[in-house]
Amino acid sequence: MTSAEIARTRDEALAEIRVAETLRALEAVRVKYLGRKGLLPQIMKGLKDLPEQNRAAAGLEANELKSRVGEAIEQRGAELGAAGPAREPFDPTLPGLWHRPGAMHLISRVIEDVTRICARIGFTVADGPDVETKHNNFDALNTPERHPSLDPRDTFWLETGECLRTQTSPVQIRVMKSRPPPVRVITPGRCYRRDTTDATHGANFHQIEGLYVDRGVSLADLKGTMAYFARELMGPAVKVRFRPHFFPFTEPSVECDFSCHVCGGAGCRVCKSSGWIEIAGAGMVDPRVFEFVGYDPEEFTGYAWGFGVERVAMVKYGLGDIRVLYENDLRFLEQFA
Amino acid sequence: MNVPLSWLKDYVDVDAPPEELARRLTFSGTEVAAIRTVGSSFDGIVVAEIVETAPHPDADDLLVCRVKDGRRVVRVVCGARNFAVGDKAPFAPAGCRLPGGRAIGATEIRGVESEGMLCAEDELGLSDDHSGLLLLPRETPAGAPLAEALGPPETVLDVEVTWNRPDCLSIIGIAREVAALFGGKVKLPSVVFREDGRPVEELAKVTLEDAQGCLRYTARVLWDVKQAPAPLWMRRRLSLCGARAINNIVDITNYVLIECGQPLHAFDYDLLADHHIIVRRARPGETMATLDGAPRCLTPDMTLIADPRKAVAVGGVMGGAGSGIRPATTRVLLEAATFDPLRLHRASLALALSTESSYRYERGVDVARVEWCSRRAAALMTELAGATAARGVIDAYPNPQAERAIRCRYGRVRALYGVETPDDRVVSILESLDLPVVSRDAESCVVLAPSFRPDLEIEADLIEEVVRVNGLDKAPTLTPSALVAPDASDAPAQALIRCRSNLVGLGLTEIMNYSFLPAELLDRFTPGETARRVALPNPVSADYAVMRDSLIPQMADTLGRNRFRQVEHAAFFETGRVFLRDDSGVIHEEERLALGLMGAPGRTALDARKPAQAQESFLWLKGILEQIARVQRVNDLAFAPFEHPALELGRTVAVIVGEAPAGVAGLLRASLGAEYRMNGPVAIAEMSLAPLLARAFGAPELKPVPAFPSVTRDVALVAPANLTNEAIARVIRRHAPPELTSVELFDIFSGEGIRKGYRSLAYSLVYCSAERTLTDEDASRYHAVVKNALTSELGVEIRDK
Repeated sequence: MTSAEIARTRDEALAEIRVAETLRALEAVRVKYLGRKGLLPQIMKGLKDLPEQNRAAAGLEANELKSRVGEAIEQRGAELGAAGPAREPFDPTLPGLWHRPGAMHLISRVIEDVTRICARIGFTVADGPDVETKHNNFDALNTPERHPSLDPRDTFWLETGECLRTQTSPVQIRVMKSRPPPVRVITPGRCYRRDTTDATHGANFHQIEGLYVDRGVSLADLKGTMAYFARELMGPAVKVRFRPHFFPFTEPSVECDFSCHVCGGAGCRVCKSSGWIEIAGAGMVDPRVFEFVGYDPEEFTGYAWGFGVERVAMVKYGLGDIRVLYENDLRFLEQFA
Repeated sequence: MNVPLSWLKDYVDVDAPPEELARRLTFSGTEVAAIRTVGSSFDGIVVAEIVETAPHPDADDLLVCRVKDGRRVVRVVCGARNFAVGDKAPFAPAGCRLPGGRAIGATEIRGVESEGMLCAEDELGLSDDHSGLLLLPRETPAGAPLAEALGPPETVLDVEVTWNRPDCLSIIGIAREVAALFGGKVKLPSVVFREDGRPVEELAKVTLEDAQGCLRYTARVLWDVKQAPAPLWMRRRLSLCGARAINNIVDITNYVLIECGQPLHAFDYDLLADHHIIVRRARPGETMATLDGAPRCLTPDMTLIADPRKAVAVGGVMGGAGSGIRPATTRVLLEAATFDPLRLHRASLALALSTESSYRYERGVDVARVEWCSRRAAALMTELAGATAARGVIDAYPNPQAERAIRCRYGRVRALYGVETPDDRVVSILESLDLPVVSRDAESCVVLAPSFRPDLEIEADLIEEVVRVNGLDKAPTLTPSALVAPDASDAPAQALIRCRSNLVGLGLTEIMNYSFLPAELLDRFTPGETARRVALPNPVSADYAVMRDSLIPQMADTLGRNRFRQVEHAAFFETGRVFLRDDSGVIHEEERLALGLMGAPGRTALDARKPAQAQESFLWLKGILEQIARVQRVNDLAFAPFEHPALELGRTVAVIVGEAPAGVAGLLRASLGAEYRMNGPVAIAEMSLAPLLARAFGAPELKPVPAFPSVTRDVALVAPANLTNEAIARVIRRHAPPELTSVELFDIFSGEGIRKGYRSLAYSLVYCSAERTLTDEDASRYHAVVKNALTSELGVEIRDK
């Protein structure tokens, strides 16, 4: 009888004990191993045939085996005995005891996703007030007086001469005025425009903008950042493309499309068959903006980008109507738990 | 803006298919939103001559016409009036189909048989114009297929022009872009015509008083004008661009507007007093009626076109009612001018009047080309309306605009673009856009920005031109590397993220409401606070009239709406800003947190049916505040009795952090709850967010884990029901030795065996020493002190087993 055989016998015995479902079955196992003609007494008997030098070690192992099996039978017997006719009824299909989980609002979720994605490449969050000066919201962003965005039909002007910010770009102005380059910030926040509420507009919405100012920043950096951002936010296969556009505070300005994360660019309902979805506006910071905040445009360049949080939420989660985000129906909200 | 391809090709040779043209334009900054085809083969529809018209015997607004379709004369009932016998118009005979699919049959219209239909533009799918029949040239043979008369279908690009590119609000402007993209030169139309009349100076006079408001004013005079419909090709082009044909004179001004981007105005020369144009500011209180018939109140910052007696136009915005082209007009004074964009923008805003003209002027009209455009229109008028032109032009241009020289450094292009663009390529792109490069050296070139490009001011503007024409797709995509910007901390934002996730962890669901709400809702919750509210002077609607000064009203509203939608249990939170005005009118913003509970959100499925009690709801709310305070490391949270107009008296507490009031928590007033048809208690809290964020990342104050075992002793007492738990616990804490480590209420009981008005409370007290193992005797000694204090200080009865 070798050590390996003893070990195998032990494993077999313990397994049989474990699966014994009744006291009677357990008794049969006991007889098989420990009974007068059981396996273990036979092993003991066989010890004397072993060579002298192995006999002592094998004896120890055999004794240990015997006591292990004995203990296991005793323990299993106690289990089976206690779980006898006196057991309480037990229904594992009853509902689990819940501490009902809460859920983050989809808008917060997108903002936090973006914050996390951008944090990996060194963007920190900056903040500013909802009530802004005309200077920060328009003038310092190189927006001429006659630009339609200043129109009281589009912007909420207050009696103080301030306005409800129409974009989070004024936070960029605040940041740049408060510290020298390099700057790498994102500015999530609430914005206001005098839009009549419909399926895709609301007078109250959220934006996230990003700003990077340093020496030697180029359009290629902007492209790379948007490409990284698109992959992280919408999925690894999502690509970006740029189209030239106009914003007062960037030059050149671009619109940034993401390839459709639903159809992969083949064309579907979400991308209106075009394969691309317009997501962000971006561009290289206009030197005139740098002059407003006291940065030297000869020394520094930078890029800025921005997008609507609601729009991204709708595109990413396939929502057809922006209003569902502000209805606050629990049955909608809790799906984002 | 609509760009018919055939019109575009008048000025630039381009063979690319429309899709390619659209793609190249879009990816160079002139977005083509759609490509449309207008027109069709018009199968079965022919040109018919109207040979007779008569009133419909049974309908005043219908005519019965006899028309010749080339083979026979048929009878047609028609609702239009814009034609005469001898005119030619499209005729859809019975049995054919209109382009939209509608089948034409022989019908009886109020008792008169009609064997087909005479068509307006909309019925042919050409535009949405239904103002009258589409009139074809009289020389068109009757019976000719309509497709022959109209030519093949047109392809129209629907172009979205950005604000900075007013030059692209014209076909020639788009042609310039196309020429730059595909190579080639823009061919300008002819402006040659015979000026064979008297010198214009003898016929008219222009006085430019307001040279700040009007930068340049030109006038030409034409006479012997023969009014008629403009030629079909011109009417077709205007129609494709969304302009309605009126008569040849007005149509020519509109045509040149679309072609060149220059607004023009044709006055009836004989309606101008003294034939004298005065460009001046409006006088205070001055009024006039514009072309659309509306009376307009003018202000002195508006530029008026006037004659010595009256105002005849709001400069650049709209003409006046009594000076334009009328049927009897034979002599025309043709205005071409430019106005100060900002002044004009303000006038357009003040009058709430936006026209094709003001839209272009406020973006910038090419001041240098005004006279050229005037000549273009005059040439068309002599050619198409038989007009005779006076010799010369009156051109008031007191301050000619200097051209801007802008330097563009090749190195800067490459640095910003990220593409190795050769110097010659930079120059050739700029030149392809008609931007004259006047000098070059080894590092840079100098462009003289033409007046049609008001957007070009600095080097970056030129770099953008190079980038967009050369292609954004050529810029490489650099993998971003991380950057640690010094002094950049976003701890407050990160603390909010943590706080939000902790609230979610406590089982609350986040809601988000608008920052503005109806004043009426605030009134219901916080009446008397109106002076501190920030009202919007120009709200979108009364529902969004006031900035919120509290998150409570919308929280209650949200719970109510959910309740109405059969949601029984809810635990919500919202973080957001409130807006408060101080006595001096300054607006302050504060970040707040609101909590709202209804139903039994803290219970699980097996006991959810039992209705929630007021006490229980309040305690859930309080527990959440305590828990969020704890995980945000606020260790000095307290509550004190408080009143709030929206919350139940006696069931409301102030939330206090440190010594400072930080918010309020309580049960919604039953009367408010009833408005939302709430059938149980609603618990609401609002507090300032700052104290919850201030210490979010602070290290906890560590206490050593007890090294010696503790001893637990219970004490049960009977006390008047109005003696609070806090009062009892305070006495226990004050009198117990330092070895007391916790006091926990574990049972409240009233009813059998307890006097009415009293209740039994049972506390579990844990004693533990940092130096030694406490003995039973120690614990008994401590406990006796506590019991004595309770009886002597509070007069309660200790219940011994």
